[in-house]
Amino acid sequence: MDEPSRIDIADLTLAYGSDIVLDALNLSIPRGRITVLAGPNGCGKSTLLRAIRRLHAPKSGYIMLDGKDIARLGSKDLARQIGLLAQSPSAPADMTVEELVRLGRYPHQSMLQPWSARDTAALERAMDGTGVTHLRGRRIGSLSGGQLQRAWIAMVLAQETEVICLDEPVNHLDMAHQLDCLDLVTRLNREEGRTIVLVLHDLNLAARYADKLVFVHHGRVVASGGPDKMMRPDLIAQVFDVRAEVITDPVHGRPLCIPLGRATGQASNTAPTKLGV
Amino acid sequence: MSAPALALDVPANRGRWAVVAIIAALFVLLLLSGVGFGSTWIGLDHVAGVLLGGGEKMDRLVVLTLRLPRVVAAALAGGAIALAGYLLQRITRNELASPGVLGVVDGAALGVVLFLAIFSNESNALVIPVTWQPLAAGLGALLAITLVLTLAGRQATSAVRLLLFGIAVAAVAKALTTIFMLIGPIYQASQATRWLAGAVDTINWGEIQIMATVLGPLVLLTGLLARHLPPADLDDVSARGIGLNVPLYRVLVFVAAAALTAIAVSFVGGVGFIGLIAPHLARLLVGRARLAGMLAAALLGGMMLMGADLLVRVAFAPIEVPAGTVTAIVGAPYFLFLLMRKDQANG
Repeated sequence: MDEPSRIDIADLTLAYGSDIVLDALNLSIPRGRITVLAGPNGCGKSTLLRAIRRLHAPKSGYIMLDGKDIARLGSKDLARQIGLLAQSPSAPADMTVEELVRLGRYPHQSMLQPWSARDTAALERAMDGTGVTHLRGRRIGSLSGGQLQRAWIAMVLAQETEVICLDEPVNHLDMAHQLDCLDLVTRLNREEGRTIVLVLHDLNLAARYADKLVFVHHGRVVASGGPDKMMRPDLIAQVFDVRAEVITDPVHGRPLCIPLGRATGQASNTAPTKLGV
Repeated sequence: MSAPALALDVPANRGRWAVVAIIAALFVLLLLSGVGFGSTWIGLDHVAGVLLGGGEKMDRLVVLTLRLPRVVAAALAGGAIALAGYLLQRITRNELASPGVLGVVDGAALGVVLFLAIFSNESNALVIPVTWQPLAAGLGALLAITLVLTLAGRQATSAVRLLLFGIAVAAVAKALTTIFMLIGPIYQASQATRWLAGAVDTINWGEIQIMATVLGPLVLLTGLLARHLPPADLDDVSARGIGLNVPLYRVLVFVAAAALTAIAVSFVGGVGFIGLIAPHLARLLVGRARLAGMLAAALLGGMMLMGADLLVRVAFAPIEVPAGTVTAIVGAPYFLFLLMRKDQANG
């Protein structure tokens, strides 16, 4: 890709103790685009996302944000540039929505910089954009799954970071809320030019929302590119162990995968798979 | 958009501070009563008179040299332990955490018993200034909490694991304390037993002065640290995501809590359960606001120890029962109640 990249990952190896999760990985995250990391369970996509937010220290290699090694940035400095919505975030049940969203302003504050009009503006914008303004006084514990997810996204938005990482943001949401959530993310990207990195394991959602799709499998990036290039039966069989037919979604014009069954034994050129369900 | 937010915030704030004010008023009342009660009753007006610099000579003697020291010591120690409990409950995001449960109290107690065993002479007098005693308690407390954190290792983020290791370390420290009391000079044992349960009756102004001198800067430091408590309310990944250096911050808070506990335990002994109950009550009464919460917790903690001391003086006189037994008798059932309620909430 010739597009300017926002994040460059070079020769990155991630491990838990001596178990290597990702091995000598190279990847670039394009500026102002939606990049989706996809792959089977346990392929290391979430670990990669956490590493991008420096929540997992690399065993070796670099992650560069605008040409600067993120290892050299201060905690708050980094938090003003990359926001992260964790996979299953938790907050005290008696915290209100507004209190939660306010925390997104934490990296912008210090002893010398108390809460300002700018913080209030960012808070209101974040709540407005996610449609939780009317819930501001509600306690976290009393929200529905969809409302809760919107409140958390509002917290990340209030951070006003150029890069936003979301780890499986539509897990545990019903179909309507899945679309709401991803449409919201798309809007942020299209209207405000934010760089978005998503981990999704629903391949069709990934193909529908991604500008760049990255397949992670067996600790490496198997392939990456636009959804049209990535959604090929052979590639899907190799990465997901699924025999599939790919058609074009008649409404959105995006590739749509119809799984037919296990690929093991069918696609004889794949490495023996260790996948469980 | 911010106008309705303000309108929403203000009454909540007022309510919160009104509660703190009521607690503070009760605190003062209890403090005066604590001084008034004893072998002879001194009217609250006389007590207030003495405290304001007047009063009769006899009243002055009883109030200033006999009663006030133990009341002030109870207030300071109870407040310090409650503040430590507040910090621990928030940083571990677990309402069952407290200096006692995490082994800090017993670690500090072990430090003091060792200190007394090593630096006392035959006639039961210290051979070095008592000023060093809080240092010994502090070392013991720090050692205990470091041990808990090291053992828990990467699992330190799990509140349950942390509590389990804390309970184990507390048990070891308690056992060691008993052993040192048994093999130590016999003339210390009876004194130490009472002190271990928590007692304020033998305290003097010199010790209170040391306590206050150490507590002052410590409380200031705690106030500064507390600024970062709200992001620490979130899960670790989210807290780090918004820029809090969670591992470092957690260590700083643990050290502050250990120091607060140590200074209290060093002079009044291992008073149980105040560090658990006072912050919990404070949260019930004033909610999650940290400044009001910390203040309320400290005042309530002080009140609990003053109240316990008052009770043993009134109910058991002339026998001096350690005040810590009262806090334990009231506290243990409360702890069980919290445990059972938590179980229900989880399942």
